[in-house]
Amino acid sequence: MRLAAAELVESREILPGQWIQAYHAPDLASGSRAGQFVHVRTGDLSGMVLRRPFSLNTTDAATGIVTIHFRVVGRGTDWFTRLRPGDEVDLLGPLGRPFEVDPRSQHVLLIAGGLGMAGVRMLADEAIRDGRQVTLLFGAASSREVYPSSLLPDEVEYVVATDDGSLGHHGYVTDLLPDYEAWADQAFACGPTGMLAALARLAAGRRQRLGVATLGRKRGGGKQDPPGSTAARRKAFLQVSMEQNMGCAVGACLGCVVMATSGTPQRVCREGPVFAAEELAWEGAWS
Amino acid sequence: MKAKRKVVTSGRSVGASRQPTARRSRPAIEPTRPRARVEARTPTAAAAPTVPIPPASVDLSVDLGRGLVLPNPILVASGTFGYGTEYSDVVEVDRLGAICCKGTTLKARIGNPTPRVTETPGGMLNSIGLQNPGVDAVIDKYAATWAGWAVPVIVNVAGESVGDYVEVTRRLDGVPGIAGIELNISCPNVGKGGLQFAIDAAAAAEVTAAVRRATDLPLLVKLSPNVADIRPIARAIADAGADALTAINTLSGIAVGPTRQRPLLGNIYGGLSGPAVKPVALRIVYEAAQTVSIPIVAIGGVTELADVLDFLAVGAVAVQVGTAIFADPTLPVRLVDELAAECAARGLASHRDLVGTALPKKAAAPSAKGVEYRP
Repeated sequence: MRLAAAELVESREILPGQWIQAYHAPDLASGSRAGQFVHVRTGDLSGMVLRRPFSLNTTDAATGIVTIHFRVVGRGTDWFTRLRPGDEVDLLGPLGRPFEVDPRSQHVLLIAGGLGMAGVRMLADEAIRDGRQVTLLFGAASSREVYPSSLLPDEVEYVVATDDGSLGHHGYVTDLLPDYEAWADQAFACGPTGMLAALARLAAGRRQRLGVATLGRKRGGGKQDPPGSTAARRKAFLQVSMEQNMGCAVGACLGCVVMATSGTPQRVCREGPVFAAEELAWEGAWS
Repeated sequence: MKAKRKVVTSGRSVGASRQPTARRSRPAIEPTRPRARVEARTPTAAAAPTVPIPPASVDLSVDLGRGLVLPNPILVASGTFGYGTEYSDVVEVDRLGAICCKGTTLKARIGNPTPRVTETPGGMLNSIGLQNPGVDAVIDKYAATWAGWAVPVIVNVAGESVGDYVEVTRRLDGVPGIAGIELNISCPNVGKGGLQFAIDAAAAAEVTAAVRRATDLPLLVKLSPNVADIRPIARAIADAGADALTAINTLSGIAVGPTRQRPLLGNIYGGLSGPAVKPVALRIVYEAAQTVSIPIVAIGGVTELADVLDFLAVGAVAVQVGTAIFADPTLPVRLVDELAAECAARGLASHRDLVGTALPKKAAAPSAKGVEYRP
């Protein structure tokens, strides 16, 4: 984690209200992994006192370019769209823990809902670089909000679902998971909490449905990786990237927590934003 | 009282407490050290040719009483800096005046439902709900680290009853690495139907006095701005034995959710902080400074040197930086340098000469304990 000034190189509105911006930040570009994020300061401290967290969308170590992808939802994101190439912003990052891909996974399933694309986009690049096959399931409200396939690597199989049926599958992206759960070795998702909760429910019954045998030692006989450890996450079928209103983004303010099954709140900025789906209590966390 | 613990920490003996040590648990640090540090790290001041007094003579130390002498008057506020370790990648924590750690309770608390934070015009609302692992876990996990730091760590203590506060304080008492206690009394008193300690002079005095009896650690008490008149409460807390006051805690507020079907925060109510609350904080420090003779640590919307100078002018001897850290983690350390340069540029030997300049002239000079005022 470090603070760095980054120069805006390019700013594009790729969809109505959705932007991709490229910044020159060599340290971030070479020292980040998919799933991590940056906390970016707006230029107006008196009016906007908080930084804005953005998933790293793509990074290119050769050129030192990192991109972020966001939707204009308020004053902060609107401020970013008015930046011009050459303007500098103050980046804090890389922050959080990345997606953990099992080295043995050949078939990687990515699932994104809407802006969740920003969370998993970089993992597509990493997985292809590592020689894995990637299928990306994407859900949006309508065809007008579907992420352009031209911005994805050619190697990615891109499957779209829209709520109104205007493009691809008519329905939720979660409807598509059963078609791919046997193919996929691991799945990685980012999107609305409701979508992630539905995926977590689906993924929980996967082993039984597929009749996957538990090989090796019986439960309790072998070493159990503690929940939340890198080793445990690497073995998880479904990893999710969570979103929460954020304050400091370094673990100090405890603003951005999600509840774990253990009953201890987990910081999205520090223990996350990526969690194994089984780490989290998806319902009734604080009741 | 507490004789058995006095044996453990020699720094608490009467003779040692007279010494202006930077942290109580390590009385070996000589008092001149903070000054030397300022001298070494203020290039802006050193480069200015028209400085009447060289920056080497700018003394930024602050005596908060009971031997708690801070190397400089820029603290980081409770809840915004975790336990001091979270920001250590990007902040030189040893250059801070002090760290006030996250609010600590007797038992672990999971805190409030999310969302817990949201930005508001010129500020933010938070309702973390005092999530913390409990005092014993805090001591286990962090005290050893703190003991190795030059920066004093003040533990912020919260509770739901007088007994809670006293028990947490007892456990902190005598632990190396803990330089003082800041009482967060803006908590509902379960024993009195949920009435906040901070809004009732008698309750505030009761909890202050009880904690005072339980420890010889320097004791700061954090005032709530959500009261009609701060003066009787400040006076009651000072009379009950507090060494210093912190002012202010957050202002109570709410935000409305994007669909306007319910308030935004999971807990409905949140505490407002940031530049938006600065005028309120100035008013409360101004009133408290004319009411009590103990030092006041100001907090509320500090984002630049001018804010520090404003708070000093209304009678604070030190300031805490809070919300601004989220946008600019390096701000507190920079403020230390800027304050030293400002004093040097004005030819002041100490920032204490800036304290209370905006107070009514008839009032007694505000306290800067342990410090001689020049006429």
